[in-house]
Amino acid sequence: MAILFKKVSSGFFEFIPLLLLLFISLNGNSIIDLNFFSISIHYILVYYWVLRKPGSLGYGFIFLSGIISDVIFGLPMGVMSLSLLVVASVATYVRVVTVRISLLNDWVSFLPALLLASLFYFIALYFSGYPTDYIYLIKNSFFTFIFYPVLWSIFYFISNIMRGD
Amino acid sequence: MDTSRDDIGIAIRSALLKKGTQQKFSLFALIVISIILIASESINYKPINYLRSAVKDVIYRSSLIISFPSKSFKGITNFTSSHINLYKSYEELKKENYLLKKNISKNDYLELENTQLKQLIEDQVKSPENLVSARVMIDKSSLYLNSFILNNGTNNSIKKGMAVLDKNNFIGRIVDVNFFSSRVLLVTDLNSKIPVIIEPSGDHAILSGHGDELPSLDYLPKDSKIDNGNTVFTSGKEGLFSPGIPIGQVFTKSNKKNVLLYSDINQITFVNINIGDLNKTK
Repeated sequence: MAILFKKVSSGFFEFIPLLLLLFISLNGNSIIDLNFFSISIHYILVYYWVLRKPGSLGYGFIFLSGIISDVIFGLPMGVMSLSLLVVASVATYVRVVTVRISLLNDWVSFLPALLLASLFYFIALYFSGYPTDYIYLIKNSFFTFIFYPVLWSIFYFISNIMRGD
Repeated sequence: MDTSRDDIGIAIRSALLKKGTQQKFSLFALIVISIILIASESINYKPINYLRSAVKDVIYRSSLIISFPSKSFKGITNFTSSHINLYKSYEELKKENYLLKKNISKNDYLELENTQLKQLIEDQVKSPENLVSARVMIDKSSLYLNSFILNNGTNNSIKKGMAVLDKNNFIGRIVDVNFFSSRVLLVTDLNSKIPVIIEPSGDHAILSGHGDELPSLDYLPKDSKIDNGNTVFTSGKEGLFSPGIPIGQVFTKSNKKNVLLYSDINQITFVNINIGDLNKTK
């Protein structure tokens, strides 16, 4: 009975990253704005799971979640997908070239991913004729980077449950 | 040196082009599709527009279902806080009621005078009042867009550019229309620029949104004598909206002329869309 319960619960936890990804896109919570703070949970979620457990987040779902976010936020379709896929690409590259993954390694390597994603986001918006708030973009990237360890700890806890530790 | 460059090349190729375990698509292919999608935004081809509208409609409806619990929670919080502040608002309303009663007789006289003057200049005061009501489905604000998604679209004759009202107050205009939904760009949005006229000075200005709750008055005449509390109306100069739709009151903040909106944009559930004006101008 206990083994069955463990199997069912770990099976459920396998879907948590995917459910979270689709939920934050559909609910419009991929970017949290609290007064001065602005954090992009989307980037952290994609980066962590693609780096740590690539099987739990399909690239197709990441693309779909980006499209949903674009529609909800009224941006041209493909802008957020492109940024998320850039984050996923950097995470995949880091996974290929790194042997040992720790919070510090993750955190440092998240910075180029974030900067590249923001650059692509900016370029895509610029060519689509959308006005760009540079200060907001920098603020968002900065606080997303600062907030990374907090979400890393939560996701680490979930991935431990998934492994059945 | 060459070996390390080769290693980087192999790592990049492996990351971007290989599908990887349990992946159905390669990253490179999806990135290319995203770029094609962004490029296709500027293409105005009917089948593509229909497809885009259908996709948007499906996503809006799904979002409505998914965000139902959080919306209900927000509703409960508002309901509780309004009960807590009941006494305070009662006192405020009592004061307001007293002031309104005091002003009623004055307003009646002004209204009469206004009607007579309008008749005198043979102004067409009769507005078509062709309004369509819609419910706000989604009210998420984004980095660049302060907007609402409404549950009516081309199925109810809504078109781009139509004025959106909360009761009788102007709050924004339609910027995107699908079959069963449409997007309203609010006056507080970064992209919103509305020609307005200020009462009683009669100065014209442009009402510009900045992403926060206080849009500002730009391009005011140098010698303008507007004060706090002056009323801001649409001027109708762009040819889309009727002139004289109330928007808000002038409010000076750190030497900048802003507009305090009559409608609380965070509390809107139903809106009216003035469909008559656009048809008239067309």
